[in-house]
Amino acid sequence: MLAAYLLIGAGLFVLGLIGFVTRRNLIIMFLCTELMFQGIVVNLVAFGRYPLGGGPTLDGQAFGLFLLAVAAAEAALALALIVLLYRYRDTLDPDAWKLLKDE
Amino acid sequence: MPTVLFVILLTLGGAGLYLAMPGGRLHVGRAALIVLIGAAAVLVSLIAPLAGPHEQGASLALLALVAMIGALRVITHPRPVYSALYFLLVIIAVGGMLVLLDATFLAAALLIIYAGAIMVTYMFVIMLAQKGGGPAPYDRSAREPLVGVAAGFVLLAALTGRILGAGAGLDAAPAAAGTNLSNIVQVGARLLTQYVVGVEITGILLLVAMVGAIAIARRRAVSAQEGEFS
Repeated sequence: MLAAYLLIGAGLFVLGLIGFVTRRNLIIMFLCTELMFQGIVVNLVAFGRYPLGGGPTLDGQAFGLFLLAVAAAEAALALALIVLLYRYRDTLDPDAWKLLKDE
Repeated sequence: MPTVLFVILLTLGGAGLYLAMPGGRLHVGRAALIVLIGAAAVLVSLIAPLAGPHEQGASLALLALVAMIGALRVITHPRPVYSALYFLLVIIAVGGMLVLLDATFLAAALLIIYAGAIMVTYMFVIMLAQKGGGPAPYDRSAREPLVGVAAGFVLLAALTGRILGAGAGLDAAPAAAGTNLSNIVQVGARLLTQYVVGVEITGILLLVAMVGAIAIARRRAVSAQEGEFS
């Protein structure tokens, strides 16, 4: 039971990671972080429902709610920053911002 | 036997994902589709027997399939609007999994907050930052797709190898707690007793994020033409 949910969570997390590394659009990169959050929610709730010892607990669901709040705060700040950056450079390519990169 | 299926799944999935990545290889889209359909079939046959009771295993396999297809399209679609819409598909599938896990309140909250609030914000920003005339150049090509996909699937292989290796230890399935209280009552009581400090801190975090987002978004980009940031 638990193994199936863990596999799905790992799959979602890794797909989000691959997207974050390979895509070149700031909005898609932050969408991929949300994808990683989905994998983590599945993991948390599955571990709460089928804990390794003892009966089911609600801790996983409580952590999941906190994670939702953090994801909402992250999305608001990230999107505000993206809008600001887009106004400066007129592009969503993160390669347009390499001021701090040593070349 | 699951191990063999699993190696096949990882190989097919990695190859299909690499072929489907945007950037120069769009002409092999059909080959990617065939490889990915094979991977999906293996995924279903792998998840269904792991997931216990008959009908629950079938619905979990279906939800996993929807979630994986949605996630794949999120990271491969060249148009951001469609990526966001496929992400909604992932949200709905994850909500279904949470219902299967008896977390009905969290499933409802996930749908309302993500599908209702966060995705609408994403949609607005995507439309604000869009130009006409097809996908932008930075959407048409991926950055180092081969290295990224290979590294990601090596990580996935390590994770799932451990999960499958511990499979016997994870199979103990305790029955659901036999209380008469509904899920939302139990979660609410837990949040307001054991985790009440966390709830307060979350409130402060949301307030700070809101003030910060407004302060950032109100800044005016006046110095863009003066070369101050180049």
